[in-house]
Formats: sequence, C-alpha cells, structure tokens
Amino acid sequence: MSRLSIPTLDTAPEASNPTLGAVRLLPPLRSTLVCLVLLSAVSSAYAHHSPAMFDMSQRVPLKGTVREFQWTNPHSYIQLLVRDDAGNETEWNLEMGAPNYLYNNGWRPGTLKNGDNVVVTIAPLKSGADGGLVMEVTLADGRKLGNAGK
Amino acid sequence: MTTKRIAGLLLAISVIASCSKSVDPRAENFARLPDWRGVWIEERGFDVGISGIPDFFGKTRPFLDPEGPWNDAGRERLASLLTNFGARKAQGWGYPMMMLSPAPLQFLVTPDETLIVNIYQEVRHIYTDGRGHPSEQDRWATTWGDSIGHWEGDTLVIDTLSVREPSKFFQAGPPFSEQARYSERLRLTAPGRIEGQITVEDPQTLTKSWTYETAYLRTPNIDRLVQDTFDNDRSEVENGAFIIAPAKP
Repeated sequence: MSRLSIPTLDTAPEASNPTLGAVRLLPPLRSTLVCLVLLSAVSSAYAHHSPAMFDMSQRVPLKGTVREFQWTNPHSYIQLLVRDDAGNETEWNLEMGAPNYLYNNGWRPGTLKNGDNVVVTIAPLKSGADGGLVMEVTLADGRKLGNAGK
Repeated sequence: MTTKRIAGLLLAISVIASCSKSVDPRAENFARLPDWRGVWIEERGFDVGISGIPDFFGKTRPFLDPEGPWNDAGRERLASLLTNFGARKAQGWGYPMMMLSPAPLQFLVTPDETLIVNIYQEVRHIYTDGRGHPSEQDRWATTWGDSIGHWEGDTLVIDTLSVREPSKFFQAGPPFSEQARYSERLRLTAPGRIEGQITVEDPQTLTKSWTYETAYLRTPNIDRLVQDTFDNDRSEVENGAFIIAPAKP
C-alpha cells in the first residue's frame, strides 16, 4: 500500500499496555532511578510533552461529529461533538501528533472536514476530562485512518 | 582558402572550444560528494503513528541509560532531570536530540558546508572548508553547538563543541555539560540508508566516552519539509500535570 494515500486498515490495532508491557527487570539497587527513567522518561521521550496524562493502557471508541480539525504545531487536534444517551452534546478535545507525523502516515489538512461523522479511538485522559490521545479514526464508510504500514 | 588554412582554422576553433569546456573546480568538488537528497527519519522513529508516540516502550533512550558511564555529577544531573521531567515542554529537539528523533531531516551537502535541517526549523551548520572552531573566548554555548567537519572518503566526520545542556531545550535530552565534545560519523551505506555514530566525551558528567549507533531512512511519504510555528500550543500544566486546554474560539 502506498503510504502517500490515506491508509485503510483491515483490523484495528490491538489494544496494548505499552507503558508496562516491555519493561525489563533490573537490579534492585538501581530500581528507583531506573524505574523513573523507564516509566517516565524513556516511554515518553518522543513528544512535545510527557504523555503521562493519557491512560495508554485503555482504548475508548468515541462516536461523534467533527466540529474542527486543527492541523497545527505542536499538536494537531480533533474537536469532536459527542452525544450521550440522554441526548446531551459535549465537545471533546482530542490530541494528535504534530502534522509531520500525520503527513508521514498519509494524512493531509483536508483529511477530516467539519461535519464528518467518525469514530475516534482514543487513549483517554487520566483526569476523566473529556479528552484523550487519538490512536485511530474510522470514517462513516468504515475506512480506518490510522497509521500507514501498520 | 587552402586546405592548410582550413585545417588551421578548425584546429583553432577546437582549441577555443576545449578551453571553454574546462570544468569549474567547485563543480568537480560537488560531483565528488555523496547524494543525500530527500527527507530522512531516524530509524527507530520511522513508524511513529498519528498519536506522535512511538512503539518503543521499554527500550532505553539514547544517552539516558542510567547504566551508562555516568560519573557522580552525571548521575545527579540525570536524577534532577527526571524529577522535573513530567511538567516540562520541549521547545524543539536541539542537538544531539534532533539527530536521534523521529522529526524529519534534510541533509544539504555542499563542498564548503553541510546543512542539517529538521522540520522544526532547527539548523546545524557543518563547515567542511577547512576552518577550525572559533577560539574558546570567541564562542559560546548554544542549543546546536559549533560544528566543523571533513570528508573521509564518503563519510562525513563532524566535531561539535559548545552545546548547551541538551535537557534544557528538550525535556528528555541527556544532561551533558557544555564541556561535552561530540564526534559524529555519517555515511550512506545503502540506497535510502545513512548510518551514523555519535560519540560523546564529557569529563563533567561521564567517566569515559559514550557511543551511540543510529541510522536514517529516506521516507517516500514526505516530499518536502513544510515548517511551521508553534501557534496552537494547548498543552498547559494544571496542578503539576498536563491538560488539554480548550480550543480557542
């Protein structure tokens, strides 16, 4: 599949626990410092800020309507209007990587348009606020916009 | 016109033509340089997805390994960095992190200078015209340092000094001192693959030199570096933790 096109994934990425899953055992004498390094810095070093605010072990699907797609530095965002069972609508703040990561995965500024109905799979904010980190987007026609080549 | 005269005229024209074809030495120098065109991404960050977070959890980050050759001062700096890590934001990558990050890079190779530019408008000037570093009193520490280089065959060898402590610019950068010296080697080893090596010597924080091997892959997905400012920073700290600030109206 050309990575220049919008990628369509046949299956959703597996939910995983990347923060804890691969941590190796280390000598106890260094445990405090090493754990801090591995769990705080190492697992989150490639970012404008630490992703410790997100629960990376969780994947939550959100069905809603795109109010705005912000193709911006240092992060892109999807402002998603989500209606609950009682019919109340709330706006969710959904963070993504910087535009260059999206571009490298086939996304473009016009990939999402205001009014698009989508399902966004997120790693939710630990705080419980209406927000999270975008892991995958599924369009109304079933196409999944995720990570090219994965 | 006699045959002799015609032959003489043709000879003269030939001599003039061959003189006009003499090649500019700078063009010859250019032609000897390797072709590093394109946009490159460091190998371990090549598959970073739309979240911006890579799948290398649990792996030790370059130059942050607590089992590295830190001396006592280095270990103290590392501990301090980690204590203050969580609520700090990056201003960019800086050096050496821009060479060890998933941020796309371009190498502009000329005989006199190689420019390394990333998508966040960070630029390294690697002077290869034979000049040395400025004297100690004439240079000062910056986020990207002062670099000079030379070619050993098709390998670019870089020497970098006066780099401001990397963790000041990028929160998870190594806590090396401004006295650190960085020796770097870059070489195209296969089509679309540049292999690199960075060796750090820092008597302030390390007991011995520390080398990290890396590689850059040419990406077919990015045909140009589109650079932009940080004009929508919605990452704010509240009670010591990051939040996503509401969208601006």
